[in-house]
Amino acid sequence: MVLELKKPRPVWQIMFSTHHTDVGLLYTITGLAFLFMAGVLAMMIRTHLFFPGQGVLISDSVTFNRIFTVHGLTMLFLFALPVANGVGNYLVPLMVRYKDMAYPKLNAIAFWMNPVGGVLLWLGFSDTSWVSYAPYSVIRAPGPAADMMIFGLKILGISSILSSINFVVTILKCKHPDLPLRKVPLFAWSMMTVSLMTIVAMPSYAAALIMLLTDRLGVSGFFNPSMGGDPIAYLHLFWFTFHPEVYIFLLPSIGMMYEIIPRFSRKPLFSQGSGVFAFVMLGLIGFASWGHHMYSTGMDFTTKVVFMIGTLAAVPASGMHVFNFLATMWGGRIKFAAPMKFAVGGIALFFSAGAGGVLNSAMPLDFISHGTYWVVGHMHLFLTGTIAFGFVGMVYYMFPLITGRMYSEKLANIHFIGMLWGSVQVFYTQHLLGLEGMPRRIYDYPAEYTSWTQLNQIATIGAWILGASFVAFLINLIYYSAKGKEANMDDPFGLGGKYYYPHQAKNPHHIGY
Amino acid sequence: MKKVIAVSVIALIALALVPSIHFAHAQEKSAKQYINLRAEVWNEFFRMTTAAFTVGAVVSGTMIWLVWRFRESHPKNKNPTRWEKLDDPTTGNYEKEGH
Repeated sequence: MVLELKKPRPVWQIMFSTHHTDVGLLYTITGLAFLFMAGVLAMMIRTHLFFPGQGVLISDSVTFNRIFTVHGLTMLFLFALPVANGVGNYLVPLMVRYKDMAYPKLNAIAFWMNPVGGVLLWLGFSDTSWVSYAPYSVIRAPGPAADMMIFGLKILGISSILSSINFVVTILKCKHPDLPLRKVPLFAWSMMTVSLMTIVAMPSYAAALIMLLTDRLGVSGFFNPSMGGDPIAYLHLFWFTFHPEVYIFLLPSIGMMYEIIPRFSRKPLFSQGSGVFAFVMLGLIGFASWGHHMYSTGMDFTTKVVFMIGTLAAVPASGMHVFNFLATMWGGRIKFAAPMKFAVGGIALFFSAGAGGVLNSAMPLDFISHGTYWVVGHMHLFLTGTIAFGFVGMVYYMFPLITGRMYSEKLANIHFIGMLWGSVQVFYTQHLLGLEGMPRRIYDYPAEYTSWTQLNQIATIGAWILGASFVAFLINLIYYSAKGKEANMDDPFGLGGKYYYPHQAKNPHHIGY
Repeated sequence: MKKVIAVSVIALIALALVPSIHFAHAQEKSAKQYINLRAEVWNEFFRMTTAAFTVGAVVSGTMIWLVWRFRESHPKNKNPTRWEKLDDPTTGNYEKEGH
């Protein structure tokens, strides 16, 4: 059991530990710290866009570009991936009934690459946007910011690959012999799927980053048109990694919902088999759709159709997860504690985000929405509305396990309502802004465009509500982890029965074990 | 419940059929008639939006009903479910339970 705050240990003991729960704790805390840091940047961006033509908060466009670049990179690489890995570290060894991760030292090394990569990204503060499209990132992006970003991303990419290898080996080779693979809990299945996807997808981006760096140094011209290079080649290499990466962010969140929903519905999961099938399908389909990010680059018609169908193929698999959740809840006796609220909220927004995705994937429609705020709204609805909801729900679920105490349900309610309300207000409005023709990544817009001004102001107010709700989360994390009521570790959520099984985690470094 | 499903299915079929009939009739008209591509794309957009949000409304509506009906404070949910007699209800099995 890891009661980090109930029976405190020296910080160095946790930092230099290789035990899976300690590494999981480090991943989770790091991810959450970066979430708050990137959240502050998001508030700056939205507040700036509240006042057209005035430059109230951000004085110039380069600074604006730097802020949204680091916001995006941090949320994706330093919040989403570490939190998924953190929860995976805690739970996967338990789920496969093994004492630890397969390679504990490799696990710790993979974690410690995260702060190093994070420092490089934040000290560099690049302005290339998170996609770093050539030729801007080759020809114009100022150094050393862009170079530090490239090195930071390389380190984070290596970390992802190392942790993925560890998860795959732990699940496939260290699984208890009595546990058939098909019966491994779905969260572990989600981690295995995303780990395999990472191993296949990441090398393409790793190659693209090296080519980008050598282009910047002037020794090659892969993506530099003046040296005969092709910027579109970068897009292919980038999106071959990053469309699957969308699922790499998403699937752990779905896996977490599979962990939460049956427990709080007090009944078995409706179908383990369909969950496994849908994870595997999404893992494969994730690689069949990268071209839909590039319809407007002059791709031929047949290729576009292939990518359109490949993208739409994700719909049935995603639907299987949603219907599995609904069927599990049907006939249960659901307790709406914070983890369940976030899981259900996440499913609702997942469906909306998916509906938007169907429109994006249809190529004639993509020409309308491409490069507009519609896309910003769509990706944020996925990342915040689904992924962050799942992650936050899981953090509340694991709170008693990590701290030995209970969070404040009242504050968690405030957090949930604010986050749901804020997410809907910001991201739905951003869809409308896209339809009004507002391009993404613009520093300013004319105040005379009243519809843009009004919609931006509505979105910004939503962002403030969303941001304010995270203050409640922060209080819960800091104050209640030290002063909260002691949790009944057998049944912290009062569900009846003794099935809060994560508490069976044994930490050999902990006093008492 | 069956009525809701039936109405939803009919609505979806109608959404799929009406545009197709429209296109079929359009083909019979004069060869001089030109297609305003931008208007067609926007029509397609709104049709797909309508279809997507209709399905979304049905699923979301079902979920809202589920949340309301199967919450533990609902009068019909006072008694524990048949799975709750187990130490871990989530390890129950539909086949074994005769579901």
